[in-house]
Amino acid sequence: MFYKDQALSAIGLGESIRLLLTAANVEWTEEHPEWPQEKPNQPFGRLPVLIEKSADGSPDFVICESGNIERYLARTYGFLPTDLKKAALQEQVRDIMSDVGTAFAGYIRAISEEDKKARFEAFGEILDKYIAIQTKTIQSNGNTGRLFGDNLSYADIVTYSLFKNMGIGFVKFKADILDIVKPKLTPEIIKLISTVETDPKLAKSMLKSDNLSALISA
Amino acid sequence: MATTNTPSYTLRYFGIMGRGETSRLLLEAANVEWTEENPEWPQEKANQPFGTLPVLIEKSVDGSPDFVICESGCIERYLARAYGFLPSDLKKAALQEQVRDQMHDVAAAFFRTIGAVSEEDKKLAQKGFDEIFDKFIAIQTKNVKDNDNTGYLFGNSLSFADIVLYGFFRNMVIGFVQFKADIAEYVKPKLTPEIIKLISTVETNPKFAKYVAKSDNLVAAVNE
Repeated sequence: MFYKDQALSAIGLGESIRLLLTAANVEWTEEHPEWPQEKPNQPFGRLPVLIEKSADGSPDFVICESGNIERYLARTYGFLPTDLKKAALQEQVRDIMSDVGTAFAGYIRAISEEDKKARFEAFGEILDKYIAIQTKTIQSNGNTGRLFGDNLSYADIVTYSLFKNMGIGFVKFKADILDIVKPKLTPEIIKLISTVETDPKLAKSMLKSDNLSALISA
Repeated sequence: MATTNTPSYTLRYFGIMGRGETSRLLLEAANVEWTEENPEWPQEKANQPFGTLPVLIEKSVDGSPDFVICESGCIERYLARAYGFLPSDLKKAALQEQVRDQMHDVAAAFFRTIGAVSEEDKKLAQKGFDEIFDKFIAIQTKNVKDNDNTGYLFGNSLSFADIVLYGFFRNMVIGFVQFKADIAEYVKPKLTPEIIKLISTVETNPKFAKYVAKSDNLVAAVNE
């Protein structure tokens, strides 16, 4: 079984998916379709798209929508618990994280100086709140650098992805984003970033990617 | 009605359909005891887990602490799984969750038309919304057709995806009128027979009789 992750060539919405595929230790490749030429050929005219090729010759399983792809992979490969309440608490982390990304996007799209100022404040506020909540969650989990339980989880992966975007991916939209975000990082968040980045399951991915922990401590 | 062995729920949201509607429908379909709170806003913002609504509070039957979650999609998927509206088969569940996430993209495109200020922005936003709305309708129409035109998107009984789609059109024909007075006139001609059949199939499900009686009737609104 292997996957094709058709995603735009940016950290953005595809990063958690790439990390999940790496952590799952499955065979996978990434396609970067010509855009917008390939738009009509996608199930919903958008990326990412996940294609799962079966081992037994049955038709490809194709899904889209980043959160949906992530949850499918996370459940299939044991990164989301089967307990519904525990799973919901992890999915919540992802959905809240997505709100932070949306707030940032709103800031980038703002045109007037007034709007930019308001949106930047709103982004700062929601990021602060997100950091506060996840810091508390890490503390409540015995300060192990993990949000829940004792192993790399879906929630850990999506949180790491957010900060990877904040520190690296979003630099092309705002050159000094890392300088803004770094002072906000709590020791608990920094520990999570390091714990995820040094997880053996993700070693392959980290080798050919940027080291976030190094950037943060620079 | 639910026994005393099932949990009871409080749904906190604003007094509009919006992002609360699917959760309301799921709670009704689950046949559990539930109430709604409409907190004073923004006064109550600081008292929410993430400063946002909706919030779901599940009160246990055994005295353990309340289970509290936020984020509309997260709440919906939790209720859908807990009460059997999402299948345990991961691929089948993903195909249903996909409907919800796509629906959310369409709603976001709609709100970009509302938020657009300059003429140029408005034009662009409208074009984007037209495109994604048409595509969404085409995909769900095909799902209904491929499912033997039973009026369900998948399988033979009311599912999460059906409830999501029905809730979406409640917003698009009734709820969103507060944002765009003529939205129903835009949406109605685009409804395919398959979508109309789904709307009717869901709305006439006995599980929703009480809810539709004290709320808006979408089938009637579509046929006006």
